[in-house]
Amino acid sequence: MALFEAHRLHKRFGRRVVLEDISLAFADGRISGIMGPNGAGKTTCFNVLTGRYAPDRGRVVLDGRDIAGKKPHEIARLGVSRSFQMMNLFDEYTARENVAMALPAMRGRGFQMARAAAGIGEIRDAADAALERVGLAGRGDAIAKALSYGERRALEIGVALAAAPRILFLDEPTSGLGTEATARLAELIRRLKGSLAMVLIEHDMRFLFELADEVSVIHWGQVIARGTPDELRRNPWVQRSNLGKLA
Amino acid sequence: MDLLAALLPHLVNGVSLGLLFALIALGFMLIVGVMEQINLAHGSLFALGAYAAFVVMAGQLPLPADLLAQWKQVPAGWRYVAALVAAPIVAGGAGMLLELCLRRTYGKDVLYGLLFTFGAALVIEELIRILFGTRDYVLPLPRGIGGGFVFLDLIYSTYRVYAGLFALGAIALLWLFLERTPYGAIIKAGAHDSEMVRALGINLTRLRLWVFAFGTALAGIAGVILAPIWGIRPHMGVDAVVPAFLVIVLGGIGSFWGAVAAGLMVGMVVGLSGAYASEWSLLSMYLLLIAVVTFRARGLLGKRSVLEV
Amino acid sequence: MTGRTAPPADRDQARLFPPAMLAALVFFASVPLWIRGVGLYEYIGVEIMIWATYALAYNLTLGQTGLPSFGHGAYFGVGAYAFGLAQHGIAENLWLCLLVAVAAAALAGAAVAAFISHRRGIYFAFMTIAFGQVFWFVAVKWHSVTGGEDGLLKIRRLPVDLGVAAFDVSGNEAFYWLVFAAFALVATGLWRLVNSPFGRVLRAIKQNEARASFVGYDVWLYKFTAFTLSAGLSGFAGALFAQAQQSAFPDVMSLHWSGIVVMMVLVGGGLVSFWGPVVGVAVYFVSRDVIGAATTTWMLWFGLMFMALVLFQPEGIAGAWRHWLARARARLAAAGR
Repeated sequence: MALFEAHRLHKRFGRRVVLEDISLAFADGRISGIMGPNGAGKTTCFNVLTGRYAPDRGRVVLDGRDIAGKKPHEIARLGVSRSFQMMNLFDEYTARENVAMALPAMRGRGFQMARAAAGIGEIRDAADAALERVGLAGRGDAIAKALSYGERRALEIGVALAAAPRILFLDEPTSGLGTEATARLAELIRRLKGSLAMVLIEHDMRFLFELADEVSVIHWGQVIARGTPDELRRNPWVQRSNLGKLA
Repeated sequence: MDLLAALLPHLVNGVSLGLLFALIALGFMLIVGVMEQINLAHGSLFALGAYAAFVVMAGQLPLPADLLAQWKQVPAGWRYVAALVAAPIVAGGAGMLLELCLRRTYGKDVLYGLLFTFGAALVIEELIRILFGTRDYVLPLPRGIGGGFVFLDLIYSTYRVYAGLFALGAIALLWLFLERTPYGAIIKAGAHDSEMVRALGINLTRLRLWVFAFGTALAGIAGVILAPIWGIRPHMGVDAVVPAFLVIVLGGIGSFWGAVAAGLMVGMVVGLSGAYASEWSLLSMYLLLIAVVTFRARGLLGKRSVLEV
Repeated sequence: MTGRTAPPADRDQARLFPPAMLAALVFFASVPLWIRGVGLYEYIGVEIMIWATYALAYNLTLGQTGLPSFGHGAYFGVGAYAFGLAQHGIAENLWLCLLVAVAAAALAGAAVAAFISHRRGIYFAFMTIAFGQVFWFVAVKWHSVTGGEDGLLKIRRLPVDLGVAAFDVSGNEAFYWLVFAAFALVATGLWRLVNSPFGRVLRAIKQNEARASFVGYDVWLYKFTAFTLSAGLSGFAGALFAQAQQSAFPDVMSLHWSGIVVMMVLVGGGLVSFWGPVVGVAVYFVSRDVIGAATTTWMLWFGLMFMALVLFQPEGIAGAWRHWLARARARLAAAGR
């Protein structure tokens, strides 16, 4: 059984059906990709999987445990972490404070009221280590909103990783990044591979096909194709939609 | 039957009160709905309208003595009509001034608009105190709408009926204006999609100015209508803005019929609870709001709004 | 890496008494020495200390957690009434009455917070207004308990019994020391709180509620806790106010006064600074007396000043001070080069 599975998810907003009978499985230590045209329901899918919306029907199973309908913070505490398409940071906090917020050690201390957060060396060290991992060593004291676009993207992933997740969902991590930053991100993901499950929504097919072990194509709220990058390159829909050429 | 007979006056009272609450809320609703601004000075402009009406009716105008004497000879009915015209002009003019300042806060957190208008409310109330003192005034009324009449062995206030009908008329006119005129179409478009208004080549800045003026002018009219019922005093603004805000939240922000329904509902609840515990009847409207909004976050008929952040 | 030296802001946060705290406490401790010399009187010091305590407590919701409460007067008032009722009905013991006041206000706050902690922004504000009006209305109408508009009278300033010695605080100067001690306690406690992990989470929620929940914080519970704490401490200030006035009235619970405490907090710069609320309260009361001595229309001027502030300097006095400091530092650096 895979680490994370979605069984027959349905989600509608008003009359609009956004997800229709979607089933997905993500194995531990592997990289999975999700692709599809804009408005196909990819981000909604992430939102249902990570608890922002409850599915109307279907199950979401993490390690044999049904987590559908649980609150985002409960799902996060079970080891599910995510980044957002629109950047989502604590803008007034420093980079270090941003990653510190996600550390399990900080979460456990959330209701400590009598001790200075800045004085807890354990958290400071863990936060610096998390920053170093995404190439932000030495930027810990910079305010998040003053960072460059690429640095903010990296910080976003740093926050998601600082939670020590078992599965990491990344929503279009390369969007807006230049070639060099994209290459660095690919390297980071490759380095992380094996230590946790990763799921990527991505428009950059070259990036996705290079990294992913398996890719699912979502269209009209359904999974219309699934396979290894090689299999998908031969898939008629992927070819017809011009996405295949890029890969 | 006995119960119904006993409740009838309270029901009538509730309906007329409900229409009046809706009348107070109309301008507030327009501004919230179209501009997503909470105008906490709404009540103060309502008070300003009431004072303006008093000045016109009682002939306390800054005019030369002979002109003033002539004005006082004009029949009360005509003076009342003049008051009904002057009040919205005064309130709307003050509203325009407010909007000219308020526009600096557009695009920021709506709380800034709320705070700014809270400050404006304090200032206007204080201005009224300076100009008129803290005493109560009574708005003189033309004979036709004063007094009372007997119906089914009970005495009703003629003015209450008149005010209720006036409110009904104002609601209907506003609805016709919004639904049946090109101006209404533009305002409604602005309520849902300011991009589209811009795309249509409409000057959004000017649209907002006029919507604000129009909404505050409606507050002024409501002030004239409510003045004989609540009395004219500096504090009357707070007495008006709280129910207005309540009706809007209860009805659902941006919903015309929601506001009307909520106004009636609040009026009925206050009227009927007044039958049993008159001291406590106003409490029921807050409890009603809390009960409804706890279960329906957007009120009775509300749609999703930018205000939800 | 630059080693283990923390930046100055971090160092301040880690301290129980950072320089600003020491300066504030020394300043307020010295008030009885000079207050008459500058033409003021002890009672204004009492008012400032009590309202500064209240404003700091209030700012735990607005400034620290980003929750715009417009009905905080309710908890201030509940504390005031509870103190008076406990004094009349239970025992004339300062500690016991204060405890009852804090507990009653915290309970009222918790009851409201249970209804509204899943909301934010303007809807949160609406709900706090509605609940605030309920408390105010009950205080006005429940004549047999609160005395209605006539107020709850004959509330005594209870002696401070420290076991070894008891101090009489019925005079304004002695009472000032009590409210100063209360302020110092609340200010140091809140400083520790807002810089603790808990405070960090609150400010994270203020900046980005969704992100906070997606990294694993139960946002509802944090908002609930912050609101309840804030209400309890507001009630503490209310209890002191009841003693100061020797009575409790419903008007502090009205929308008007709930709005004024928001004004004081914003004028001082509570959105950007821990000390903003204290500055705002001092400015409010001193200008009330100074402008009020010259003209009876001081509320007009204060209102106009507030409107201008919202438009041009929404970060308040503390914000303006910070900009000025930053500019001055930049100029010094330029001159030094």
